[in-house]
Parts: sequence; C-alpha cells; structure tokens
Amino acid sequence: MADTTADSLFAGLKVIDCASFIAAPAAATIFSDFGADVIKIEPPEEGDLYRTLHVRPGSPKANGDYAWIQDNRNKRGLALDLKSERGHEVLCRLVEKADVFITNMPFPVRRKLRTSYEDLAHLNPRLVYASFTAYGETGPESEKTGFDSTAYWARSGLMDMVRPDGESAPARSTPGMGDHPSAAALFGAIMTGLWRRERTGKGGMVGSSLIANGLWSNSYFVQAALMKAQFPPRPPRSHVLNPLSNSYRCKDGRWFILSMVNEARQYAPFMHAIGLTDLIEKYAVQADRQKNSPELIAIYDALFATKPLDEWRKILDDAGITFGIVNTLDDLLTDEQARHAGVIVPFADGSGETVNSPFVIDGETKRAPGPAPSIGQHTDAILREHGYSDADIATLRAAKAVG
Amino acid sequence: MSDQLFAGLKVIDCASFIAAPLAATILSDFGADVIKIEPPGEGDGYRSLHSRAGQPQVGMDFAWMHGARNKRGVVLDLKSPQGIEVLYRMVEKADVFITNLPLPVRRRMKLSYDDLIARNPRLIYASFTAYGEKGEEADKTGFDSTAYWARSGLMDQVRPDSSSPPARAVAGMGDLPSAMTLYAAITTALYRRQITGKGGLVQSSLLANGLWANAFLVQAGLLGGTIPPRLPRAQSQSATSNMYRTRDDRWFNLAMVNDVKQFPILAKTLGRPELATDPRFATSDGRRTNVGALMAILDELFAQHDLADLRRMMDAAGLTFGFVGTIDEARTDRQMRDAGAIVPMADGGYETVSSPFQVEGASKTTPRGAPSRGQHTDEVLAEYGYSDADIAAMRAARAIG
Repeated sequence: MADTTADSLFAGLKVIDCASFIAAPAAATIFSDFGADVIKIEPPEEGDLYRTLHVRPGSPKANGDYAWIQDNRNKRGLALDLKSERGHEVLCRLVEKADVFITNMPFPVRRKLRTSYEDLAHLNPRLVYASFTAYGETGPESEKTGFDSTAYWARSGLMDMVRPDGESAPARSTPGMGDHPSAAALFGAIMTGLWRRERTGKGGMVGSSLIANGLWSNSYFVQAALMKAQFPPRPPRSHVLNPLSNSYRCKDGRWFILSMVNEARQYAPFMHAIGLTDLIEKYAVQADRQKNSPELIAIYDALFATKPLDEWRKILDDAGITFGIVNTLDDLLTDEQARHAGVIVPFADGSGETVNSPFVIDGETKRAPGPAPSIGQHTDAILREHGYSDADIATLRAAKAVG
Repeated sequence: MSDQLFAGLKVIDCASFIAAPLAATILSDFGADVIKIEPPGEGDGYRSLHSRAGQPQVGMDFAWMHGARNKRGVVLDLKSPQGIEVLYRMVEKADVFITNLPLPVRRRMKLSYDDLIARNPRLIYASFTAYGEKGEEADKTGFDSTAYWARSGLMDQVRPDSSSPPARAVAGMGDLPSAMTLYAAITTALYRRQITGKGGLVQSSLLANGLWANAFLVQAGLLGGTIPPRLPRAQSQSATSNMYRTRDDRWFNLAMVNDVKQFPILAKTLGRPELATDPRFATSDGRRTNVGALMAILDELFAQHDLADLRRMMDAAGLTFGFVGTIDEARTDRQMRDAGAIVPMADGGYETVSSPFQVEGASKTTPRGAPSRGQHTDEVLAEYGYSDADIAAMRAARAIG
C-alpha cells in the first residue's frame, strides 16, 4: 500500500488517475495529499507525454523532472496498454474496486478504448467518474483537444487583456497556470460527487473543462461583456491616467507597482521621500497629475532607473507608501511567508520542496510529499492487490498488456 | 428546487469582494440557501468596484450581478452587540460560514473559528486570507493583483518577452480560481461531516492559489532550475508552439505538443505537404534547429488566411490551437453556451458565467438576480424567530439595515 496514515481523511479511498498532462492528474494529486491511494495509469514505454515537457525548448532546466515530481507526487505507477483486450480487463477489475476514476481522454479515444462513463459506471455503481475536457462535453467543439494556453488562456480573453497595453503582442502564459486552477475545480467537483454518494449511496459523473475555468477566471469582465459594456482601451504604461498607480522599473531591471489609493495623504510624503520635494507643488492637484500624466511618468521613469529595487523598497517602506514588488521566481526560493503558511512544503525524503495543494482542512494532516512514480513502477504490486497471481502478471507482461 | 444537491444547506457569506463570496455563489448554484451579510452604509466594497475609472461602463453593476446571484441580502452591523447576536443566532442553524475578514478583525469582533464552532459543532468555517494564517504576513490584507499575481511570479513571467513591462492582472482573475478552491475545501469538509458528524475549519489563501497556479515553474525553481528568459518572438525556440498572426490581424496560439504526429498534418492543412519531408523540418530536432526558417514560412502561410477560415481548417484537421479571444467574442461564442460555461439568468434579461464544473444529475439553479443592500433583512430575520417589533427595534438602533 501507499504510505498513508490510517486515519487520514481519504485513507482507503481508491483513485484511478487515467489522465495525462496537468489539469486532470493534478486533481488526483490533491486526493493523494490527503491520503488517498492514487494509481497513475500510463501506456507502457512512452508513458504520459507530460514526462517530456520539462526538456522542451524554453522549459527551465533543473535537476530532475520537476513537472512530474510536482504533479504526480505520492502516486503509484501502473503501466497498462488500454488498447489491448487484457489491458482493458485489468482496468475493469481496478474500476470495480475504485472510488474515483479521472480521465481527460478525448471522447473519440474514450469510445475506442471503452473508457467512457457508460462503459465503466455499470461495473461499479458507487464510482465517481470525473471527466475533464478542453471545451466541454457538448457542442461542436467538444471533441477537440486543447491545452490551457489555448482553451483557458487564449479563448477566455485573458490573453488579450493581460498585456502591458493594447499595442503589445499578447502575453504568453506560463505552463500549467490554467491547468492547476482547473485541477482544483475538478477536485471540487469530485468532492461534490463523493458527498452526494455518502448521502445516496450512488456514484455518478462530474465534469469540468478548460474553457469553463478560463471563463470563470475572467468572469468579472466576461459578465461586463455579456451586458454589452463598453471597454476602455488599455493605454501604454507611459500614458496611464494615474502616474501614482503604475509600474516602474528600477536600475537593476526589477519592477514594482505603485498602488497609491489614498493619494491625498501619500502624495506629498512620497514625493519628498524620493527626492522630488521641489516638484510637489507643481503636481499637487490630482487633476493636474492626470492631465500631465505622460510628463510625470517620464520624470518617475528617469528617477526610478537610478537606484536598484532594494534601495527604493527601503525608501518607500520607510515613507509608508503602498506598493508591491513584481516577484521573480528566485524571490520565491527564499519566501518565508510561503513556508510559514504551508504553501511550499518539504518532500518527505528531504530531496527538496514542492508546492502544496492550495487549501487546508483543519485536523487533517496532509501526507509529507513523496516521490512521483517511474513508468510502471508499481505495476506488480497493484496487480497483486487486485487478485493477479505472479503467473498472471508474467503472462500479461509477455503479452505487453502491462509494463 | 427542493431536490437540488444542496437544498436545505444554509450558508452564511460574511465576506467581501470576490474570492471568498464566490465560493458561496458556487454553493448557491447547486441550490444552497446563501445569506449575504453586509455592513450598513456602503455594504460590500465590491459594489463600487465597477464604477471606478478604467472599468467597463455598462450602467449596471455587472460584477455584483455575477458574484451575488441567487443570494439573499441582509445588512447587519457586526460592531453592535445586537448585530453580532443576530449573526450568532444564524450560525447556530448554519452549515457553512465563509469569511475573509482580516484575522485581527475576526478576533476583535469575536467571529473567529473558536467563537463560532462553540455555538455549532457541525459548522464548517471557511476562512480565506491573502497570505495564509501563520507567519509574519498572516494579518496583512491583499488583493489578487498583489498576493496571487505579483507575489507568485506569474506577473513577472507572463509577458510577451523579458524586455516588455510586466503584464497587468485582469480584475478577479486570481480571485475566481481561489473561490473554486475554497468551494472544494468546503465540500471536502462536508464529506467529512457526513462521515464523522463534525464540522470544522477549512482555509485557503491568495498566496497558496497563486503558487499552485504557477507550480510548474515554482517547482523547477525549488529544484534548482534556472528559468530561461522569455525571448522576443523573433528569437523563439519552437515554431510549432508559437504565436501567429492571421490576414485579418488576429493572433492565435499554435500549441503542438505532439509535433511528430501533428506537423505533417499541419503542413498538409496549409497546402504545403512537402514541408513534412523537407530535410530541414522532417524531424523535431530539425524543426528546432531551423526554427527561424520554419517560422518565416508559417508566418507567410498563416497570413494568407482570415482567422475564421483558419479555425475551420485547423479544427477539421484536429490540430491543437487557440485563437486569442477578445472579450467581445464571449458575447456570441456558441461553444461557451453549449458547454454550459455561459448560462441565461432566470429573468431572461442577460447571461452570466456559470461555476466551472458539472455534476451529472444535479441541476444548477437557473441564476437569479443579486440582492440590493439589505433586500432580505426582514425576511431572513423573521425566519430566525425575530418578531416585527424586534426587527423595528434593531433597525431603530441601526444594528440592521
């Protein structure tokens, strides 16, 4: 058995992760954090294609497959050829004993491999079947594949809106930045299904999609659009209406955001603190600052470029000015709060740290994160648990139904 | 409605702005009875966000209509002894209590977990903060633009290239996924209560959700990885995962993860099947080595088509790509409606964005309008045993509104 404490919330809960990449598998990761026994099914040999993402051009280079380690921690690996009849039979046997089945296979693949809800539900009426798709379960695009860069980020309008200004090229997403929130949504959907099962005794199907999560994330503006709002253009940062609510670049290339809500109180101390005392009067009136915004921004740009962030940070902090630093990933490596708050946690084996699932259930200890499996690492153990003899396993392996 | 999943579930939304209240909205979508508590006077500060400079102008509070749909509105002055007593009475019968009040305010108002669980051991207390509940920054306030977007490294990373200014967050884009997480935490506790009979405390934060969203790169950093700079488009390292522009000046994102299989299909779709056997582009390595030449060819080929034509061609070929949608397109996007991501309101007046998941057999409430300030104060107080005279006395004392 996987290393779980008997009294953890999901002790004994069996979750089959029959999915790939991030959004759907990371929902299973959250289950594993709270002690569920998660079996990760991969095709023999090539495995989940997600294993190759970290070596692609533009991906960070690190010691180890950080992506796999993050999103498949705690799971046990089973290599199974679902295209083979025997592989399919193994899956059915697993499903009979499972509580949760998670997949993101495109619908045509589910039909071909007989892994659709209708194929599996009758094997186990208590099963909660979690279906994740790119574009939803119905409609002309429901069979399309997609990644979060497309179906979540680009489609939702987020990519278009999150740019420095209307003239710049669209902003590129970081890998998984739409998948991970979608995983939390899928986890929430599964919990809703499990809660219902506790009351009714019946499993069922739950579903989520990248398009739904992208729109949900952007729903403040989508709602405005649905009500036919007029959207003001985004001016470039050199021309924003309020120089005191703008981003500025320091000598070392680091950016900070000035977000002065109480201008009446903070404007003069701010000007004084940054050494522009002689200009306080000239721009003392808010309307003048707005009218002469490009001029004042140019003054600030020139000034902030003369000192590194650390020096400005001290000056602004001492003056009690409201501002925020645009963090780099390096900053997170030493972020104390992220560790105090349990957001970044150590691996059980001391091999480093990982990002925790983003919530806490008081009284439930999350499992200390364990390693992610290699392809088929636990095939034999899992098959034995499901009644296969050593001879059966040897036969299955010889037929390449398992790996 | 009585057969809905959360029929009879009583939820107190004692929160403000987006992340925490929207968790209650999701519960309301599945039929829970959500009571929105607001302070007298201005009410929830979120009511005024839409009217600030730079926000879309529509003449209605679109944000509130989305975020507070289905809820009943009660105005309570939690600083007054009478107001807090009303809240305690509601808590005794509640299933879920949701708050994002800063921790010092909760202590001062006697609304912390310990204060409330003593009154109702089956209560699920959902606590949302900016930076978590331990550590030096636990008491700090924050918005998603700072605690989720800027703090997590997302803001620094999401830009066209390293030389461009950081990308600005869109209002609520970190709050809404965080709301989904808080909902998931609440249902986890409801599941546990079904087994143990006991309520409990669940917590989430903007910081935790921002890092979760950026976990791919954060995990790389935690393992000693170096994050390569974001290169300008002209210096891209991949032609098959890149942005391209159409004849009608629209951008789209080609996201070809399995390029071995899909590149020949793309070449054929664009009418240049020979590219797949061109020695420069025949293999993944070749396509990487000759990225500049391939991008130049694809730039030219894609620029021969309008987005609408290209969508048809690419969809028919089963190629993974996404066009950079504009917010205007959400108004008419058919798939968003077929998939249930955009749904009509009960009164038929407009549409709204649904919670981002479905539970087969559990119908969602057809969304009803959001309450005005204190719209249901009298109705709700009457349900909790307050007489007309009680209500009048409390209103005179400004404990309710």
